[in-house]
Amino acid sequence: MSRGHHAEKATGKGDPQCFTGEAGEPKFKVGDRVRIRNLPDIFYTRCQVYTRGAEGVVTVVTHESPAPEDEAWDNVDDPEWFYIVRFKQKDLWDEYPDAYANDTLQTEFSERWLESV
Amino acid sequence: MAENHKAAPMVDEVSDFEVLEIAVRELAIEKGLFSAEDHRRFAEFAHSIGPLPAARLVAKAWLDPDFKKLALEDGFTASKEVGIDWLNPTGFGTPSDYCDLRVLENTPAVHHVVVCTLCSCYPRPILGHSPEWYRTPNYRRRLVRWPRQVLAEFGLQIPAEVEVRVEDSNQKCRFMVIPMRPEGTEGWTEDQLTEIVTRDCMLGVALPHPERKLDDKRPVHKAANPVHGH
Repeated sequence: MSRGHHAEKATGKGDPQCFTGEAGEPKFKVGDRVRIRNLPDIFYTRCQVYTRGAEGVVTVVTHESPAPEDEAWDNVDDPEWFYIVRFKQKDLWDEYPDAYANDTLQTEFSERWLESV
Repeated sequence: MAENHKAAPMVDEVSDFEVLEIAVRELAIEKGLFSAEDHRRFAEFAHSIGPLPAARLVAKAWLDPDFKKLALEDGFTASKEVGIDWLNPTGFGTPSDYCDLRVLENTPAVHHVVVCTLCSCYPRPILGHSPEWYRTPNYRRRLVRWPRQVLAEFGLQIPAEVEVRVEDSNQKCRFMVIPMRPEGTEGWTEDQLTEIVTRDCMLGVALPHPERKLDDKRPVHKAANPVHGH
């Protein structure tokens, strides 16, 4: 039996490198201020609920890949750009102490989860 | 032996996940996705990896500004200089993990700490398997919200003027931290420096110290009932 098509595609290139060039132009760039959308996630997601609705800044445009919400179902037809977004901790957690107002958190999103602020 | 005798179980408990792993593995072998020999080889590889390549990457970065620049810009390529090819660590067709290593540099102003709130994303090819605590819901759910308190439980207190930056690794990027080179290591060689860069330093829950090495002697508590003749 042959390996899965995904495994064959990644051989010798790596994943996510094997999706390079499949997502077109990235919609956001480093420094852009974005808000995390609160999309339905009834089946599968890797977008943390604690980030929904929060605003942050794009710090890295990382790579192209199918979104996990698609890839979980073996749908690799529509890769997206991924972005690391930095949040002020105070913007994520109301009770975060003012004494540590500089503290931050970074995590990654596929393009569908971001909207311009 | 009596017919109703039952042997004592070899282990107290086997988790559902262990049963599931065996079932999936045996099905995959029966279907021919991989052979039992492939699986043995992979398991052997998986048990042989550890944090030493990453420790050497940090030591090199401390000594060589050009290499540090490369590590921060392209962790995948920098890994090759410490013997780790993310594409082919196993000799199998596909990589053993996703191949986008991101190296984070601690500075006097910023301290990074890594977590995966969703499960256990971890740069295994270069750092080995994650420690048990890294995979616990306790660490994962608390670190993002109360990072300073959790770090304090590890014995690490970060001054208020330093930004604590949590990196929640939730997609295909993998992260490791270059801690700051501690005082007292002036003139040290790459080998000497590698010895003090422990796994926890590269996750951001500890800081390297010139007198704390990977192979330090562990404290020995004298046995209350020693075995004689040994």
